[in-house]
Amino acid sequence: MEDFLIGLAPPIIKGIFLGGLYVVIALGLSLVFGVMKLINVGHGDLVILGSYFAFAAMSWLGMDPFLGLVMGVPLFFGFGFLVQRFIINRTFRVSLDAALIATFGISIIVQGLVQAIFTPFARSLNTSYRLETFAVGPLTISLRYLLDFIGGLAVMIALREFLRRTYLGKAISAASQNKPVAQRMGINPTRVYSFAFAIAMSCAAVAGVLQGLTFSFTPTSGPPLLIISFGVIILGGLGSMAGTFIGGMIFGLTQTLGAYLSGGSMLVQNIAAYLLVFVILAVRPQGIFGR
Amino acid sequence: MVVRDKMKIPRLTTLISVAALVVLALFPVVGVSLSWLNYLFIFFIYLALANMWNLLAGYSGLICLCPHAFVGLAGYTLAIGTWLGVPFQAGLIAGAIVAALFALLISYPVFRMRGIYFAIGTLILPEVLKVWFSYWRPVGNVYQGMGAGYSVTGVAGVTLVDTYWLGLAIAAASIFLVYMILKTKLGLGLTAIRDNENTAASAGANVFRLKLYSFIIAAFIMGIAGAVYYIFSPRINPTGGFSIRWLLVPLMATVIGGEGLEEGPIIGAAIVTFLTFRLADYGAWSLLIQGIILLVVVTVMPQGIAGLLRQVGAYRFPVKLFQAAEGRIHKS
Repeated sequence: MEDFLIGLAPPIIKGIFLGGLYVVIALGLSLVFGVMKLINVGHGDLVILGSYFAFAAMSWLGMDPFLGLVMGVPLFFGFGFLVQRFIINRTFRVSLDAALIATFGISIIVQGLVQAIFTPFARSLNTSYRLETFAVGPLTISLRYLLDFIGGLAVMIALREFLRRTYLGKAISAASQNKPVAQRMGINPTRVYSFAFAIAMSCAAVAGVLQGLTFSFTPTSGPPLLIISFGVIILGGLGSMAGTFIGGMIFGLTQTLGAYLSGGSMLVQNIAAYLLVFVILAVRPQGIFGR
Repeated sequence: MVVRDKMKIPRLTTLISVAALVVLALFPVVGVSLSWLNYLFIFFIYLALANMWNLLAGYSGLICLCPHAFVGLAGYTLAIGTWLGVPFQAGLIAGAIVAALFALLISYPVFRMRGIYFAIGTLILPEVLKVWFSYWRPVGNVYQGMGAGYSVTGVAGVTLVDTYWLGLAIAAASIFLVYMILKTKLGLGLTAIRDNENTAASAGANVFRLKLYSFIIAAFIMGIAGAVYYIFSPRINPTGGFSIRWLLVPLMATVIGGEGLEEGPIIGAAIVTFLTFRLADYGAWSLLIQGIILLVVVTVMPQGIAGLLRQVGAYRFPVKLFQAAEGRIHKS
């Protein structure tokens, strides 16, 4: 029994740390979902685009992935602003379904783009520190999982302060809480949408680096990330940062504990998170912590 | 009016559809080249998928992002069946039935979700199946690594002409089915649900059952269309069978052609077939180009080509011609 509990400690720590990655991905998705009531079907692919961007910056310019973010975040921000302004805002005038189909189009375009440029082979961000580990007492911790956790925490706090303290952040929160009233207070919703999507894209750029350091990726790695992050936001409830954080941890734990308890079965590790999302959706579509 | 339709000759539109069907069925006999039969076969498969996607998205308001689950399941059923010595004809039907049963099985959880939740909920299913079939290998040797692919055995004697006829039959059946559904009470109820689910429910429509029927019918037809494709191209693996391509094709065909319009998928499937062959030389770029086309269509003409044609009144002249011709026939 004691051995079992000691054996349980590494997957639990790994799962909690891994949850940080899912938090970063889910925050971008949640921001867009909160403001527009739209699921960006291409969000997972945009994260993978972030991974490939870091990969390109690393292999072509020799930049460290985190240094590459100095370039990547503004680029993704501008790109997201334009996409929302010229594509998704237009489709909103038709219907929500049209907007959903437009985001699916974005997903296909990103998949095609990275496949054409980088071939379908699996890549990873092979930095010198990627596989480093260090010991804390009896436990060994991989640096990349620790980076996930720190990244998740940092992005969450930054976003929270942004939403609370800046005018734009308050406008975004207002539009997601009650759109008609926000509009009457002089907030232009389409402009807010554009900024929300741009910030979501910036989150995707950061998430892309973390995901690239943690796992290897291919052009089709996006949809699984979308599904897991969607699970995180419905588990955590909309607009609740703490809920999203806990949701991310639960999904991280599901994967690592699922793998550990099934004796390292890849099938269980890959399928457990999907089944959890499906069960949450079927039992409580409005989310566990949601109203 | 109704009596006239039943007693005298069938209406001209019916006559024209039957004539078109007969002409298409005779194509292999009169020596149309094999490459054209190939194009048309792909068109038929795409048409059947697009019709069913249109039934779900256009008429029932279900944005279903899981056609690849049905296609892949039916393809796998066919492939595994042929390994166990089941003839492929039975495998086709079995594949469609498995797809329909899968739809029935998942209907309870997925119909609890609405709108966007439903879309994402269905998107999970093919991903789960893809992982499952990557590790599960019921017959044959277990490969190491990228395993779990199957070739469909025992279809070496099936020629392109046979699959052409099969494809034609399924495409025709899908068109007829949508036409019949729209004529019956089921179609009326579905349209009511699409327009406003709560109002439809309070007006006495059994929302769950109506959605379930259209979902199962769509799964069956999509399944059998997918299985026929895997007779034509007898090799299936998890990434191919559950490929997002099987979602992209019906979605693009319906959106480009015109969602919620009967003739939309026919126009859209023809364009998507053309694009598939035209873009085949460009490899990965083809996906990118298809995505751009999809975005342009959604932003510039959300009603699709059929909607545009209706708007500019392109049908007025042929319809008048029809009516005049029909009047003449009934007078004589």
